[in-house]
Amino acid sequence: MRRFLLRLANLFGSRRAEREMTREMESHLSLLQEDFERRGMLPAEARLSARRAYGGVEFTKELHREARSFVWVEQFVKDVRYAARNLWGNPGFTAVAVIALAIGLGVNATLFSLYNTVVLKPLPVADPGRLVRVKRWLAHGSRDSIQYNFAYPEYRYLLAHSTVFSGLTADSGEISALASVSRTSAPEHLTGHLVSGNYFGALRVNAALGRTFGPEEDREPGASPVVVLSDRFWRRSYNGDPRVIGRTIQLDGLTYNIIGVAPRKFTGTDRFPFATDFWAPLSMFEQLAPAAGTTDDSWREQWRDATPPWFELLGRVRNGVSIAKAQAETDLLARQFLSRYREKDRTTAVTVVKATNIGEGFFDGYSTAGLMLGFMTGLVLLVACANVANMLLARGAARQSEIGLRMALGAGRGRILRQAMIESLMLSVLGAAGGLLLSTWASRLLWLAISRSFQGFRTSFIDPDLSPDFRVMAFGLALALATALLFGLAPAVRLTRVSLNAVIKREASLFGARVSQSRLRSVLLGTQVTAAVMLLSASGDLASTLFIRQNTDLGFDARNTFLMMRDNERGKAKANDQRLRERLAALPELASVAVGDAPLLGNGFTGPMAVGKMNRPALASYASDAYFEALGIRLLRGRSFTQQEADRAAPLAVISEATAKHFWPNENPLGKRFSLDLASDNHFTDFEVIGIAKDIHSTDIAEIDATHIYLPTGGPQGKYQGGVLFRIHGDRTKALAAVRSAVESVDRALLPGLNLISLEEGPVAMVREAVQGLALAGEILVALSLTLAAVGIYGVMAYLVTQRTREIGIRVALGATARALIGGLLAQCMRPVFLGIAAGTVLGFVFTIWEESQAPFPDSMVHSLFGDPNLYAELVLMVAVAILACVAPAKRALRVDPAITLRHE
Amino acid sequence: MSSEGTDRIAVLQGTLDLIVLRVLQSMGQMHAYAIATRLQQVSQDLLHLNQGTLYPALVRLEQQGRIKGTWGKTESHREAKFYAITKAGERALVEETRRWRQMAGLVDKLLAEEA
Repeated sequence: MRRFLLRLANLFGSRRAEREMTREMESHLSLLQEDFERRGMLPAEARLSARRAYGGVEFTKELHREARSFVWVEQFVKDVRYAARNLWGNPGFTAVAVIALAIGLGVNATLFSLYNTVVLKPLPVADPGRLVRVKRWLAHGSRDSIQYNFAYPEYRYLLAHSTVFSGLTADSGEISALASVSRTSAPEHLTGHLVSGNYFGALRVNAALGRTFGPEEDREPGASPVVVLSDRFWRRSYNGDPRVIGRTIQLDGLTYNIIGVAPRKFTGTDRFPFATDFWAPLSMFEQLAPAAGTTDDSWREQWRDATPPWFELLGRVRNGVSIAKAQAETDLLARQFLSRYREKDRTTAVTVVKATNIGEGFFDGYSTAGLMLGFMTGLVLLVACANVANMLLARGAARQSEIGLRMALGAGRGRILRQAMIESLMLSVLGAAGGLLLSTWASRLLWLAISRSFQGFRTSFIDPDLSPDFRVMAFGLALALATALLFGLAPAVRLTRVSLNAVIKREASLFGARVSQSRLRSVLLGTQVTAAVMLLSASGDLASTLFIRQNTDLGFDARNTFLMMRDNERGKAKANDQRLRERLAALPELASVAVGDAPLLGNGFTGPMAVGKMNRPALASYASDAYFEALGIRLLRGRSFTQQEADRAAPLAVISEATAKHFWPNENPLGKRFSLDLASDNHFTDFEVIGIAKDIHSTDIAEIDATHIYLPTGGPQGKYQGGVLFRIHGDRTKALAAVRSAVESVDRALLPGLNLISLEEGPVAMVREAVQGLALAGEILVALSLTLAAVGIYGVMAYLVTQRTREIGIRVALGATARALIGGLLAQCMRPVFLGIAAGTVLGFVFTIWEESQAPFPDSMVHSLFGDPNLYAELVLMVAVAILACVAPAKRALRVDPAITLRHE
Repeated sequence: MSSEGTDRIAVLQGTLDLIVLRVLQSMGQMHAYAIATRLQQVSQDLLHLNQGTLYPALVRLEQQGRIKGTWGKTESHREAKFYAITKAGERALVEETRRWRQMAGLVDKLLAEEA
């Protein structure tokens, strides 16, 4: 131990130790010399003999140093200094390499930091590691949001019997409210959450201003009209005025006391990254979110199967209790509770999952796109790596004589290899630093692009902390290490393989010696081209959707058709629906009113459709009688449903043009029958075709639906609760005002959650923004990789041809014509490029097939095809660059007198 | 010294420390050259020791606190670093000697039995 410390100390006090050593050795030598003199030698002779007896002085010094200190650390420090000097001395090379790596690493870090923020980061509260969400698993295998829904009695039971949580909270999820901030201002729509009284306590969130509410304010229903504002809402509506505490706010006509403002970083615990404006205690549930179909508070006491209101449960596991134990007990208790009831879809298990900043599920819809982007960013990094590797190779060739000399002087291969690797490492670490910097604002941009796609709806995204944390740093560093190995190892090994003889005789550039080296270059070059072309094919379709103009015909009328969005839990939805439709239908401002699935919102379902032996997954949407008129979808043949047929769910269907062509290519489809698996349970229901509708884009904004059928809204279970769609004619403001007052006359409780939104501003804008954001990202990636590849190709090609100046000279001297020479060179140089293009095309195609198979529906939002002509222009440019890089230096070489070329070597 | 005599012995790895400690114990304070000379003397030139290789052992022993070096003057008034064994060195010597005996005995025994 003591020795270890001393050695460590010697790392730093190395100069003193060095002096001491020299002094001792000199003393030793003089003693030795003295001895020899005593034996009768002449002084000069004695000195020589002493040296001889002593052995190599420098060698001994090295031994001494090695024993004295950690020599590898010292060498490492020296290597780092050497590498830094080298990089500093070649600013051009260093800059290009670091920029290339920063781009490659930056795009990957960007994607990762987004993933990190959404999936990995814990909630921004104290000790977030012990927070868990309670999740149920259902017999029918239903996934997603439904797994987090718990009835209030279920929550109370868990709360009363659980011993593993220091706090178990309930959250109503998003509710909307019509608010008047002051008496004079117009009412505005707010989003809030109703949470159990222990919510802030269990999460350990203290108010930034004022106080939060506690369990005592969640006892008596309706007794505690208090709210805690979110920082965002407070800043927006109150300009961050601290005197807001104690003031009141009107929510749905009732006065609430503002008791506190939440801290800025706490944006709620929703599983979706939607911003909230306020939190109120659950005791105010009847006032803020009248339960579906009831006005009493029986939902608090009685468990009813598959009936809202539902709550998401979030618990803090008690210190000293393992997550596994918490899960075991919660599972047991939940099933104990449910054993008293009969569930239609049985709960098979209840688990707890660690709560992250934004819950799982939100990005499920983006997983294919994310995977694809990840794949693309990986390719960009690969191109950057190949580029830097090639640059290192070229530089290595130029440094051959230096390396040769060092090896001749006794430097080991290992040491030179290490030095080269340290240089690569420094490059990649610099690149990673640049990349992380790049990613901090690139990820912000990406987040903005995603949140923009939701702007049509009445939701705003939270503004999460996207700054790189230790995970992003670690990711960047790990990637940098891997990258350094990837681009640095081959050139480094190559560097140490110099033939000393050749170097010293300055024969390094003779053609024979370079054959294998140029093969490695060709492989690297080919890799770059392959990766770039793959990227091109992968992003082709993304980019092509970029050119969808605002007025692309989607097959339906997006401008004048509106979606009536409301809280399903509000009012007596079911009973009122019929009245609402009648009232709306009577309005002169509306052209038609219908119930059904709106396109591009992921509504409807996909099930296997069979005609005889033909089978294919089909998208099915529910439609009422006036559905096609309301959406402006043209019927080509046949008819739509009558109101009676729609309400009674008659076994009839309208099919799309493409569907008709697929199943009945040369026949009249009207009157034909098909069967459909409605619930994906291998139970087929027969339908008769009564009409053919024009094809529309309802899943993919870029493509028409391959197979689309419309079924009557009564639906198979007769309980379809789809959205109301209506088409206006005339003045928009007047029409919407008329609709609003009609809704008010049916049920005032519907007003706070009411959102009238045109298909253009809602779903179409959402999908378009999302696709365009993605496409833009893809486009940027492709442009980056192609540019990197072109730069790489130019550098390498030009270098290779220049290196062959002498060979060209000889050939010219032997009588080769310019044409033949350039032709030969071109063929040789372009081979890796064309091989790369071919390989990239094949791989891109394979990837396309794989990606399509991943998509839930054949026409998902993203799929890859070779699309955008602009990118082909870029590919042509790349080839042109390669040709130019090959021909220009060759021409220069040809102009030189052969005699000079030959003498030059 | 630079030519390698066939019947000279190379120092067995790890034994140099032991030998140095022993020499210092019996001869008292000595400088490196004297240690080297002494080793040659005792081994009657059988021990092949490059004079320079003594240094790593000295550095190691000093860092382990088994010997201590101080600068002084030789009889011929030349400056040299004199090494002396420390208490810890004495203890280490006893222990190392015991281990060496054990080892040597074991090797002897093996050789005798296999012969």
